[in-house]
Amino acid sequence: MSRAGNMSRTAASRGVSFSSSPVLEVKLPTWRSRLVLFLLFGAFVALICRALWLQGMTTDFLQKQGANRYARTLELPATRGKITDRNGQVLASSVPVKAIWAIPDDVLEAPKEKLQQLAALLDMTEAELRKKLDSDRQFVYLKRQVEPVVSDKILALGIAGIETRKEYKRFYPEGEVMAHVVGFTNVEDIGQEGIELASEKNLAGKTGSRRVIKDRLGRIVEDIRAIREPHDGSDITLSIDSKIQYIAYTHLKEAVEKHKAKAGGAVVLDAKTGEILALVNLPSYNPNDRSVLTGAQLRNRVITDTFEPGSTMKPFTVALALETGRVTPDTVFQTAPGYMSIGPAVIHDAHKEAALTVAQVIQKSSNIGVAKMALQMPPKEMWELFTTLGFGQQPKIGFPGAVAGRLRNYKNWRPIEQATMSYGHGLSVSLLQMARAYTIFARNGDMIPITFQKTTEAPVAQHVISEKTAQQLRVMMESVTQPGGTATQARIPGYRVAGKTGTAHKIEGGRYVNKYVGDFIGFAPVSNPRVIVAVMIDEPSAGGHFGGIVAAPVFAAITANVLRSMNVPPDSSVTSIIPDNSVQESM
Amino acid sequence: MTTRINIFLAIALIACALLLINSQYQARRLFIELEREQSLSKQFELQWTQLKLDQSTYGKHSRIEETAAKELNMVPVTPERTQYLKAVEAK
Repeated sequence: MSRAGNMSRTAASRGVSFSSSPVLEVKLPTWRSRLVLFLLFGAFVALICRALWLQGMTTDFLQKQGANRYARTLELPATRGKITDRNGQVLASSVPVKAIWAIPDDVLEAPKEKLQQLAALLDMTEAELRKKLDSDRQFVYLKRQVEPVVSDKILALGIAGIETRKEYKRFYPEGEVMAHVVGFTNVEDIGQEGIELASEKNLAGKTGSRRVIKDRLGRIVEDIRAIREPHDGSDITLSIDSKIQYIAYTHLKEAVEKHKAKAGGAVVLDAKTGEILALVNLPSYNPNDRSVLTGAQLRNRVITDTFEPGSTMKPFTVALALETGRVTPDTVFQTAPGYMSIGPAVIHDAHKEAALTVAQVIQKSSNIGVAKMALQMPPKEMWELFTTLGFGQQPKIGFPGAVAGRLRNYKNWRPIEQATMSYGHGLSVSLLQMARAYTIFARNGDMIPITFQKTTEAPVAQHVISEKTAQQLRVMMESVTQPGGTATQARIPGYRVAGKTGTAHKIEGGRYVNKYVGDFIGFAPVSNPRVIVAVMIDEPSAGGHFGGIVAAPVFAAITANVLRSMNVPPDSSVTSIIPDNSVQESM
Repeated sequence: MTTRINIFLAIALIACALLLINSQYQARRLFIELEREQSLSKQFELQWTQLKLDQSTYGKHSRIEETAAKELNMVPVTPERTQYLKAVEAK
C-alpha cells in the first residue's frame, strides 16, 4: 500500500506504461525531425568552415594583428660620422633634432590661441601655419630640424595631431672658413657638396632595427628577434689644419676686399707629404644657414675653375730647357726690342730689357726669353712634361667636380701656340693643379700625389726632373722675390721664399678681355721647403692687377703665419723687410 | 602509494610554476634595467658629441684671435722679436 501511495503521481501509477504513453502515440511528420537534424548539421558545418578559415586561410593576418597589439619594431638610428681636421677639431657633426609634423584635420580643431602659440614657436605667422595645414593629406611637415628645446615646448602645448620625429642636423662650427672643403648635407642628412658628398659612403650611417614586446606602460619587455645593430658612419680626419685654413681665409679675404676682386682662392700644400693643409675660396657662405645661396658662393674655384696660368707656367718651360741641356742658367737670350714676331703674331714684354740670362728671364718674367727657349724644343717634349705634371688631367683627390683643365695635343701646336703656352697662355689649369705641379721645385725634382686625408706614411714620389735642375730653378725663383724681381712683396721676414708671379687676361666668349687673374705660387723656406702656397685673385679692380701686387702680399702673409704655426725654424737672418720697387711682369 | 606520489608531483609542479614566474619577472626587471642603462649611454654619447661640437665652436680660431687682440691686447709675434733656441738632441 505504501508503495502504491509513493508511486501515485507517476504515469505508471495511473496504469499507463511508458512505452504506451499517449504522447508517443502522436504521429509527427518525419520531415520535421529531419529538418532539425539538417539545421544542426548545417550549423556545425558553418562552424567548421569558419574555424578552417580562421586557422588555415587568415592565420598570418590574425597573428599579425595580435602581434601589433604587443610587439613594436623600433628603428635604431645611426649617426653620420664626424668630419674633423688633422688635430681633431670638429668641422662637421650631427646633432639630434626634431621634425614637427601634423595631421591637419586634428590640428585645425585646436583652439585659436593654441594655434597662435604654435605658430610663434615655429617662427611663422598664423596665416602661414594655416596655409600649411590646409591640405588633404594626412601627414604634413610643419617644420624640420627643430631644436629639442623648442620641440618640447610645442609638445607641451598638447595640441592633438602634432607629432615629432627624430632626425639629425649637421652643424659646421667653422662656418664659412671651411665651407668649400667640408661642404654640407641636405635636410635628409645626405651629402651635397665637398667632402660631405665625396665621402658620403663612409660618413653615412646604417640604421638598425629591433623587434620588441612592450608592456602596458610602454616599457620594452623583451626582444622577439635578434637586433639588427645600427652602424654609425665612420669619422673622417682631413688633412686640413683649421688654424692654417683660418690664416689663409682671413688674409685672402683682406686682399679680395682691398682689391675689390670678384673672387679669390688659395691653397696650402705640405711639400713633404702632399697633404692639403688649407683650401679657401671667396666668396664663401655659411653652411649653417643656407637660405640665400648663389652659385658664385658655392663654387670651389681652387678645384673646379680653370684659368690661364700666365707666367707661373714659365718655370716649367725653363726647367725642361735646363733638364735637356739646351740651356744653362747663364745662357743669354736677347729680348730687345721688347717684342718678337712669330709668323703673323707678335708677342710682347711688359718692360724692355736687353740681353737676359736664363735666370734673369725668370726673375724679370720675360715672355720673349721663355718663348725663345721654348721654340728650341720639340712640342712633344713640352707636352709630355705638362702631362706628367698633371695638366689636362683630372687630379685624383676624390673631390667632386675636380676639373682637368685644357691642354691640347702637341700634334696641333703651331709655333705661336707653343710660344704662348711656354708662358702660360693657350692652356688652362686649376689652382690646385698648379700648386701640385710646383712640388717638383719644392721637392728636388719629384712629384707626389696630393690628398685631403690625413696621412702618416711617406708618399710615393714620381721623378720628373733632376735634383740639380730643381735646385737651379729654386735659386731663380728666389730671385723673383728679391730686389729686381717681379714679386718683392712676397718676401717674409726670417725665411727665404721662392715663387713665381702670374697675370693673365681672362677669356670671355673666346676672346681675351681686359679682366685679369693675378696669381702667385711659391714655397718656403727655400733651404728645405715645407709648404707650397698658391694664391689667385680673380678680377682685381682696385690697386693694381699684377700677380706681384695683388697675390704676392697674400702669399707672404699666409706663408709667414703658416711657417710660424708649423714651428719651422727660420733660414734667413733678414728679420725685417724694407719695401722696394719691383719690376712689372709680362703677360 | 600512488596518492603520495601524486601529492608530491603536484607540489613540485606548483613550485616549478612559481619559480618560472619569479624568473620571468627577474628577467623582465633586469631587461628593463639594461634598457635604461643603454639609453643612458646613448644619451651620454650624444652629450659628448654636443660637447665636442661646443669645444670646436668656442675654440674657433676667429674667436680666439678676436679675444686675443681685443680683450687681451695681444699682437702677432714676428721673427724680429723672437728668440730661437736650438734644440739639443738628447744623448
